[in-house]
Formats: sequence, structure tokens, C-alpha cells
Amino acid sequence: MTDTTGEQSPVSEMSFEDAMRELERVVSQLEAGDVALAESIRLYERGAELKAQCDKLLRAAEEKVAQIVANEAGEATGTKPVEGL
Amino acid sequence: MTTALVTHPASLTHVTPPGHPEQVARLEYVLAALEAERFADLRRETAPLVADDDLLRCHPLDYIQLIRDSVPDSGWRPLDADTHMSPGSLDASLRGAGANVKAAELVITGEAANAFAAVRPPGHHAERATAMGFCFFGNVSIAAKNALDHHGLGRVAILDFDVHHGNGTQDLVEEDARIFFASSHQMPLYPGTGAAHETGAHDNVLNVPLAPGTGSSGFRRAWQDQILPACADFRPDMVFVSAGFDAHRADPLANLELTEDDFAWVTRAICDLADDTADGRVVSTLEGGYDLSALAASTAAHVAVLMERGA
Repeated sequence: MTDTTGEQSPVSEMSFEDAMRELERVVSQLEAGDVALAESIRLYERGAELKAQCDKLLRAAEEKVAQIVANEAGEATGTKPVEGL
Repeated sequence: MTTALVTHPASLTHVTPPGHPEQVARLEYVLAALEAERFADLRRETAPLVADDDLLRCHPLDYIQLIRDSVPDSGWRPLDADTHMSPGSLDASLRGAGANVKAAELVITGEAANAFAAVRPPGHHAERATAMGFCFFGNVSIAAKNALDHHGLGRVAILDFDVHHGNGTQDLVEEDARIFFASSHQMPLYPGTGAAHETGAHDNVLNVPLAPGTGSSGFRRAWQDQILPACADFRPDMVFVSAGFDAHRADPLANLELTEDDFAWVTRAICDLADDTADGRVVSTLEGGYDLSALAASTAAHVAVLMERGA
């Protein structure tokens, strides 16, 4: 059987961009049927890990996002948490 | 009346490379399970080689010749990344299709109330001219078309609960208005087809994709609310079943969460439907299922229901 997924980096060490790029590739391979039956489950599980990593990094980024608070003169005076993210 | 079990020792001579999930041991486990005392009343029949005319209803001559010419003298010849021919594979494939035809004939002639073909390689991924996903010939479609063309049935249904979409069956029957094909399967997963918008040339195809992690209730809802009512509306004269047991929670090739009870449930539901429209005529064949113990237990649960209903 062919290992269609090749050399793989640990998902937990991947940046959001890298994880997202590989996730898109995994999804398109699964949708195109471009993978062997016996490898299909491994590819799906890799996709699930990548999605979880993207979710985790996105959540972490959201927590860091803060709104800059400015004074009447338009000068930045500090930050406050953003609502609704 | 009784339930027929159609198989052949040749099914064990289709040998796959070491580590391949579609292995000889699958059928050995199934047949061992069907040796238990409660299966003593099965009518055991030997599968014939499929007739060329029957093969030609589904596959073009040059494809059949390609398969015949691909048999290696030793070792394996890969036809795709999953699908390998060994020296015994051709005989096993021809008997696998022949078992399905024989099973259907036993039921059509009234010699058996229903039947199960315990064979490998499986068939539901084999397209008109493409061997793939461990399959060479469209076993169940070959039997369905034989029932229509040779035995004069008006319309038949093929119901597929293997965890992978039956792309081959769909390819072979989607333009035939006499055949209704329905499949529940995990998506995303191999082979990537089987979206709900694939409905066949005559609205005769129904695909119900299931999300990874779907368990008993989601599976039963798909069958109860969608597949069984649509099939009942079609009013088939006979119901064929592509019985793959890889939606079992223990299966290594998928992520659904079914148990033996779910396979018994769906078998009962299919028998109920067949009682209403098809004089109870159900012909089932083994497709996938790769955890050996779960496969054996699930097949036993499936055949036990067929026997209970065929008695």
C-alpha cells in the first residue's frame, strides 16, 4: 500500500498557516477520492488533527486580540478586551 | 424454507500483500462464526464461476480480458494502490460474482427464502472498467442485472450499509431505471463520492452521507427516515444488500460507531421492507469489515436475522 501522506511534521508544532494549508490539501484529496482506501482513514484523522490545531491557534490568537483605546486627541492610551470574538 | 449460505474455498485463495486489511483471515473468521450451532440449518451452497454473459451485463469485454490477463504467476500485480491480484484472485473474483448470482437464483426459484453470499474479494467499488478499493467485479450489480434480464423481475433495489460509498455499484446501475440504489456511508472518506446530490439518471440513487463519529441513532435515523421509505416507494421485487460491516466502532478503516445490534436492526428493517414489497426476498453479500472479531460478530448477527426471517 502506498503512503499517500508522505513525510509529516508533528501537527502540534505547526503554525496556523501551515496547518491550514495542509488541511486544505487533505480536504481536496479526500473530496477528489485521490487516496487509497486503506490510507483514507489515516488522511481523515490527519485532517481532524490539523483542524483541531487550527482551532487551538485561532482561539489563542483571539484571546490576544485587544482593542486599542484612544483619548480625545486620538492618541493610544491602552487596550481593552474585544467583545464578540 | 430456509436461508442459503453461498461460498467457495476459492474465496480464500485471493491473497493480499502482508498487512493488507482485506485479508484471507476476514472470510476465515466469518465462516468460523457461521459454523456455530445456531447456524446449523443454513442451506450451504457452493458458488459457481460467474457466466460471461452475466459479467458482460456490467463490465466491457476488454476490461474483463484485462483482469484475466493481470493474474501473476506468483506474488502480486497491483491494479491500484489498494487492489492487488494474486494467482488465486481471478478464480476468487469469478466465484464471488457467481455466488451472488447463485444466491439470487436460489431465492427467485423459491429454494431459499433469503440468502447470504460469504465471499471475497468484495465488489461495490468496482466500476465498469476500473478495479479499485479491493474490488474487481461488481458482484451485487451483476446478480441484480441477472435477476432483471434473465429471471424477468421488474425492479430490484440494492441497499448498501458498508461504511464506504458504493461508487462501483452506483456507476453500474445509476442509468438503469429498473434498479434503485441507496447507500449510507461516512463522509469524508474513501472514495470521495456519494454526496446527497448524486441521485442517478432516473432519481434512482439515494446517498445518505454520515458525519464521522455517527453512532446508532444517526445511522438508524438515516435508514428509518430516508433510505427505507424511498426504497418502499420504489416497490422492488427483490432487495439486494451490500453488507459491509466496517461502520462498526472497532473497525480500523473508518470512524462510525455502530455495533452488532445496529447491523441486526438494519437487517430486520430491510427484511420488513422486503416482506411488504418483495415476498421477503433478500439477497445479501459481504463487502467490507476489517476488524476480524467485529466482522465475525456482525456478520453472525446479520445472518441470524436472515435465518429468523427466512424460517
